[in-house]
Amino acid sequence: MLLESKKTGVGTGRFEAWLPVLLLALVGASLPLWGDSFFGLVATRVCIYWVLVAGLNLVVGFAGQLAIGWVSLLTIGAYTASALAAGRVTPEIPTFFALGAAGLLGAVFGLIAGLPALRLRTFYFAMTTLGLSTIVTQIALAWKSVTGGGVGIPGPSMPVPLDSPWGFYFFCLVLALFVTWMTCNISASRYGRSLVAIRDAEVAAEAVGIYKPRLLMAVFLFSGALAGFAGGLFASLQSYITPDAFTFDLSVLFFIAILIGGRGSILGPMIGTAILTILPDFAAPLVQWSTFLYAVLLLAIVLLVPGGIADLLDFKNRRPLDKHREIRPRPELLGQILTAPRKSELRLQNIVLSFGGVRAVDGVDLEIHTGEVHGLIGPNGSGKTTTLNVISGYYTPQEGTVSQDGVDFTKEGPHTRAAHHIARTFQTPRLIGESSVLENVMIGGNIDASGTFVESLLALPRHWRDEAHLRENAMAALTIVGLERLAGVRADRLQHSELRFVEIARALMMKPAFLLLDEPAAGLSVDEIKRLGALVTAISKQGTGVLLVEHHADLIFDICDRVTVLNLGKVLASGKPDEVRTHREVVNAYLGA
Amino acid sequence: MPTSAREPLLAVKGLSAGYGKIGVLSGVDIVVYPGEIVAMLGPNGAGKTTLLKAVSGLLPWTGEVTFAGRSMAGASPREAVNAGLVHVVEGHRIFTQLTVEDNVLLASYGMPRAQGRKQVEEALDFFPEIKAKRHDRAVTLSGGQQQMLAVTQGLVRKPKLLMLDEPSAGLSPVLVDRVLAAAAQLRATGTAVLLVEQLIEKSLAVADRVYALTQGAVALEASAKEPGLPTKLERMYFGQKDTPHLA
Amino acid sequence: MLVQSIITNGLAVGAVYALIGITYNVMFSASRVFSFTAGSVGMLGGVFGAILIGQMGMPVIVGFLLTLLLGAILGIVIEFVTVRPVLKSLDQHLYVLSTLAAALMIQQLTAIYFSTDAVPFPRVVPIESGFLDQKIWLPILACVGTIVGLEYLFRHTLVGRAFLAISEDNYAARALGLPEQRLRMTSFALAGMIGVLAGFSSGQLMFASLANGPLLNFYGFVPVALGGMGSNRGAVIGGLLLGLFQQTANYFFGGVFSSVAVFVVFIIALLVRPEGLAGAATARRV
Repeated sequence: MLLESKKTGVGTGRFEAWLPVLLLALVGASLPLWGDSFFGLVATRVCIYWVLVAGLNLVVGFAGQLAIGWVSLLTIGAYTASALAAGRVTPEIPTFFALGAAGLLGAVFGLIAGLPALRLRTFYFAMTTLGLSTIVTQIALAWKSVTGGGVGIPGPSMPVPLDSPWGFYFFCLVLALFVTWMTCNISASRYGRSLVAIRDAEVAAEAVGIYKPRLLMAVFLFSGALAGFAGGLFASLQSYITPDAFTFDLSVLFFIAILIGGRGSILGPMIGTAILTILPDFAAPLVQWSTFLYAVLLLAIVLLVPGGIADLLDFKNRRPLDKHREIRPRPELLGQILTAPRKSELRLQNIVLSFGGVRAVDGVDLEIHTGEVHGLIGPNGSGKTTTLNVISGYYTPQEGTVSQDGVDFTKEGPHTRAAHHIARTFQTPRLIGESSVLENVMIGGNIDASGTFVESLLALPRHWRDEAHLRENAMAALTIVGLERLAGVRADRLQHSELRFVEIARALMMKPAFLLLDEPAAGLSVDEIKRLGALVTAISKQGTGVLLVEHHADLIFDICDRVTVLNLGKVLASGKPDEVRTHREVVNAYLGA
Repeated sequence: MPTSAREPLLAVKGLSAGYGKIGVLSGVDIVVYPGEIVAMLGPNGAGKTTLLKAVSGLLPWTGEVTFAGRSMAGASPREAVNAGLVHVVEGHRIFTQLTVEDNVLLASYGMPRAQGRKQVEEALDFFPEIKAKRHDRAVTLSGGQQQMLAVTQGLVRKPKLLMLDEPSAGLSPVLVDRVLAAAAQLRATGTAVLLVEQLIEKSLAVADRVYALTQGAVALEASAKEPGLPTKLERMYFGQKDTPHLA
Repeated sequence: MLVQSIITNGLAVGAVYALIGITYNVMFSASRVFSFTAGSVGMLGGVFGAILIGQMGMPVIVGFLLTLLLGAILGIVIEFVTVRPVLKSLDQHLYVLSTLAAALMIQQLTAIYFSTDAVPFPRVVPIESGFLDQKIWLPILACVGTIVGLEYLFRHTLVGRAFLAISEDNYAARALGLPEQRLRMTSFALAGMIGVLAGFSSGQLMFASLANGPLLNFYGFVPVALGGMGSNRGAVIGGLLLGLFQQTANYFFGGVFSSVAVFVVFIIALLVRPEGLAGAATARRV
């Protein structure tokens, strides 16, 4: 059965994934056949810009960090390569080493430029990159001994045979192809998915063990290196550089090329870069207006086509879906991905958490055992979700401990919970709307993979093994929750109830010892709630401990082994469902007598 | 006692609403007659708050809502307020940085100045302890006083229908009685009240009629004085399987 | 004399930063949106003044009022085109992009139809004061006037309180029946006026120059970010301190050092306290 579902075209699309590389290779290699030397010059510039944009694309398009001042890194790379090759700092250095140094310094400054993004959000980060680009230009003007100030310095000259225009063009093209191939690899790896996850579902990303700072640092280093290297090539192409060459308009071009192309796409930004670079060159009257046009395009994209070119090209996801879909979970297959975890217990002791004077959780004790379904109920504002958030590390309680078999992890961040095999779902499903259902589920297996960022970049064997393994598990998880047919569909096309089951599939990928479900039945139909109940029961039978926060009393009393009732942040009662149901104080709390 | 022969003040038919993809209400029908107190009960997550938000225009909805003979389709909260339909949202969300008086004054925004002033004073008369603190910043009020302030805001426009969302939340029993007594006082002046509450017994004590909502639909409609009503509600809250044994 | 010149220049420049900071704040309070247009609108204040009074020869007072009017219109257009359409999905931060687009358009149009170079600004006050030049006291006066005006608005008018209400709790304000859209538009008109006032009053100090756009955008944002968003007091104190620091560093170490120093302090301060030195911690995430 599983084999059958694998065949149902998940759209792994090897061809699709490599389309950007193929397209670039075809158009680029054939250019000398149909273009003159002017074409060649423009195409060289497109290739150089694309080297930078391809890296920036991971920052902006994938990770969603609004780095608008990336021209600063191009500047740094250009001056580094030029100054080293001209021997202004050290004895003259061969061009390739100077380019390498430019890439290195670019990486360092990419990291510096990116650091604020680890703590600051959107507008703030955009502002810091903007500030950096202003300052780099000022320094380039002032540091005359190295940069030549306003007079400028010659760019590095390439060795034979790369010194001819076509020779240089092919060098840049090959480099652009290599860079495209690398970013395609990343995009199709768990790192690419993780980047998109921190962009669109940061909280969920943490819950599956994605550690944002480390991931972003890797991307900033990579993107900075490409920008620095591109800077060196840019200097070589210009043959003479002054600070005037690095206007903010260039930054705008890079940034907008990505947004016009579409977030999370590689082909789109590539086309975007080509269009924006070529446009002013072939329509001379437009030169003056080019930035204005970019701005108009940006506004139009934001307001009218937030998905960019990539969205326009995404024909697959415009095919209508079957209107009458049913979620038919197959709990009997759970054994395919869940192996019985060893017996353990999750223990909360005397948890106290106040928000500005309000004690949201006020001395809660709770024990959850593997193999049990533990219900957590209570009126609104009684502290249920807050308790859940303490367990998964989003809040650090002021008092008390959270521990698993005596190992205390109260104060560790949410991204550490995945390693303890504590998985969760969210009250409002937190999925990546622009990614496919399968990719969303694969995110859950993040800690299961072992390949490094560089291995994925270069598509080394471990990258392939990880991918195959994650894909297989994710298909199995989807089959278990009954959504394998929708594996290739964009998640934002699903119905609400389907999203809830996708979240469960994602959680299953973590092979949870404990699964925290935050109102999983909200918004489900009566039939769906029944199936959910059966699935949750089966999961606990496999040995997973389930903590179920729910309002649907029927479901709670049907499937729970134990029920804890919270009221005003305190435990009001705890015990077997029947005991709790007839507990006088519980009844009073609910009915407000 | 209201009878069906009278023209309803608020008529909701087949109302569906939710948040984005999450449908919360599906096909809700309720009516409120002029001058009655209707309690809206139901377990957590049943959609009570969503219902109020839809009716007052804070959430988009589909279906039919008629208020005082006029369709409320597409009406903004402001239009609802101007039509005499005032919604006091849950969680006593008053403006803590402003004074008590300014908070109440804001409710008169857009009214002729003199009339606004006059109605502000009349609203303040409902709760003397709020009036006494009129020049204090609202942040200094206790939770109960903030709730009273929120209700005071709701009274300024002399609404035809006042919708109160969980006015008892976080209040001591004495204060709950004060707030609910205000509702009864309002009924005496001809104002209808739609009361969303968790406290069943206290709501039943002041209400004329009761609706119970479960899972986004009306599960029960009854007179507040109907015998055996609390038991029925209890069953609804805790599932239908078997009757809980009460001590 | 040197100390005096550093202090007066610093206060004057600082007052301009403070005004741009207030421009950011007024827009933010009404919409939770930071707009990239703050600096460009400030720049336009100088440009409008230079065109209307300097080139077209209008009387100063007419030129000034017309500049304010244009600022208000600009603010409304910005709200309508770049803010209102993206407010529904505030969490996607599309406003960063839409307002950036608007700022770029303003800059580019100014470059094409006005000038890419700095243009001198006409004298505003015909009389000479013996002690301070008007290029110094005009921005300071504008800043003081704006603060007094805003204070009056917020403390003594119902509209002002409605602004405060919307900025504190938009949802509750809507439920209460406040005309949120109209108030937001008014806020943007007000922000536009404060922005052009900054550029107009500092016209003689900083000239009517395209380069002022990005400059004011950044240096106007620094006090807001450090003082806590929405806090006008933070913007004013921060703006003045920034101006004084810059002038001092400028004199002793040169312009590049002062830019780098401001930038480094800005980044470090934000990394240590992302919510601003005076701001409150952010709300719940889950």
